[in-house]
Amino acid sequence: MTPPTDKPKLLGQCERWLIPVLILAFCGATYWLSTTFKKMPPILKRGIQPSDFPQLLVLLLVFLTILMVWKDPVRVRDRLMGSTLGTIALFAGFAALTSIDFFLALGVFATVLAMFWGERRVPILVLVGLLVPAAIFFTFDQVFEIRFPRGLLISLWYG
Amino acid sequence: MDAFVHGLVSLFDIHLLLLIFCATIGGVIIGALPGLNATTGAALLLPFTLTMEPVPAIATMTAIYCSATFAGAITAILINTPGTAASATTCLDGYPLAQQGQAGRALGMAVVASTFGGIFSVICLMLAAPLLARAAYHFSPPEYFALTLFGLSMLASIGDGSAIKNLIAGVFGILIATIGVDNLTTVERFTFGSYHLYEGIGFVPVMIGVFGISELLVQSEKLHLRREVIRMKSVELPSAKDYRDSWRAILRSSGIGTFIGILPAEGATVASMIGYNEAKRWSRNPKLFGKGAIEGVAGSEAANNAATGGAMVPTLALGIPGSATAAVILAGLMVHGLQPGPNMFTEQADFAYAIFWSMMLVNLLFFFVGLRGAKIFARVTLIPVEVLWPVVFVFSIVGAYALDQSMFDVWVALVSGVIGYFMRRYGFSVVPLAIGLILGGMLEQRLGQSMVMLDEKWWLMFTRPLTLLFLVLTALALFGPAIWGRLVKRRAPLDSTGE
Repeated sequence: MTPPTDKPKLLGQCERWLIPVLILAFCGATYWLSTTFKKMPPILKRGIQPSDFPQLLVLLLVFLTILMVWKDPVRVRDRLMGSTLGTIALFAGFAALTSIDFFLALGVFATVLAMFWGERRVPILVLVGLLVPAAIFFTFDQVFEIRFPRGLLISLWYG
Repeated sequence: MDAFVHGLVSLFDIHLLLLIFCATIGGVIIGALPGLNATTGAALLLPFTLTMEPVPAIATMTAIYCSATFAGAITAILINTPGTAASATTCLDGYPLAQQGQAGRALGMAVVASTFGGIFSVICLMLAAPLLARAAYHFSPPEYFALTLFGLSMLASIGDGSAIKNLIAGVFGILIATIGVDNLTTVERFTFGSYHLYEGIGFVPVMIGVFGISELLVQSEKLHLRREVIRMKSVELPSAKDYRDSWRAILRSSGIGTFIGILPAEGATVASMIGYNEAKRWSRNPKLFGKGAIEGVAGSEAANNAATGGAMVPTLALGIPGSATAAVILAGLMVHGLQPGPNMFTEQADFAYAIFWSMMLVNLLFFFVGLRGAKIFARVTLIPVEVLWPVVFVFSIVGAYALDQSMFDVWVALVSGVIGYFMRRYGFSVVPLAIGLILGGMLEQRLGQSMVMLDEKWWLMFTRPLTLLFLVLTALALFGPAIWGRLVKRRAPLDSTGE
């Protein structure tokens, strides 16, 4: 894996402004959504309208974001690392695999993540990808009586 | 008094004692592992406590809290990497001592100081929490609203983010708490027609995400780091000279830690920093600090463990978490159908005292576990991240699913983890987000009740003395540091010229 490199100036500047812009866009969308909430008649509104509190928070968030840009802007120290981006991509792979089987997805994810992070010893990969998920499955199934979503492997157990 | 005794008696159950013992060992291992801390440990453990009775469930979580806070010292001293943020100041003198071949001595002092700080704070908790609850018993919604606001304002100064960024994270957390059907009016908000969102976003999956999964992503940046553990023969109890040098620092830091812990949202990290600084300020050998002062280890460790008991005071008495881990414990209390607050000491006093006694027991237990086992637990720091974190991921995901047996919660945990990672990357602490999420519903509910009570004239809040006091404290917490900073800045040139 590559160690952190020198401060990427252009990317840093971009991210510095991107974050406040994203927060303000989120605030805009949230405020607009809050205007679509049902209004209660005065007798039923119990002190405040359902939209009042979220709108108050959004306005506070806008004020704090502007204050942040002025007083304490976002600083980026290092470039986003490939290992982190790869791990996030693996999350997406895990999410896709859960449609086949929840524990199969967990086992595959744990094995691939360990390999992606540099583990090559087969016994360790078996421990991480097979024994640990299996132990957790049986603990939750037998001790805590948790029912997991049916899939290719779990259906074999549930019958 | 009955509850005091009943609480103690309820601990005399072999299963419960065994559970507390195992949780103490588990907590020490969690605290010793770099990247894992008491908050992550408690969040990951929470789903495992679902089938337990409330006393064993919460006792297990508090055992993790106390022992993991202590165990951060093991990695701080042996590998110069704080196992928990609260042990960061322990590195400053603990590691130099280890380099000088005195790792056992430093760890011995850490064990003694942590145990003393922890027991001191539990005694304070036993005395202060019922008194605070009694004082808060007659609070009306406006007082509670102002108190919750004060608790949230303290978020400005916690975590590793700046004050403004912490507040942004806190407000974001409160905003997430508004998702779902409004409790006051039953109007749907931000549900997008999805039935998964009717009851809002669960705080347990969010906590698993922001504390567990985001840490996994942070660890993915550190794969190139290799840790070297300094070898030691055994943990030694401090010598008479060490006690003479450090007893004042231990006593002072225990008081500081307990007080800081009691303040809403302030936790062990702030306590250890202040405890360390005060130990240095009052020391006869301040120049030794940073080079291997045993007082430094004592000051830092007594303070961070004292904060654990202190943090439970507002958590149990007012329902306002005293720290990030206390927020997870608060979530645990809610999941088990308990309502922390003044009523806890009238309606569930036996439970509250059982928790106090279990914390006392844990502090005694990790004294022996620390002395006997620190050398063994130091080895867990050698577990490679590429083995540890895939396992943590499996625990996190299964834990997120188990609470409501819902895949939606798994997605919430994953998305929260990614958001939490980017928040941390850009300098926003995730602790305020978690606390904001927990307190958000309460804040809105109390605001609504206050508005009804005051006939929608919100300015009448300022005419109620206690409400006004909490609002003034809120303003001080938010603007005090900035005003103080400016005053100090103005004074600085005058002082430098000697005027």
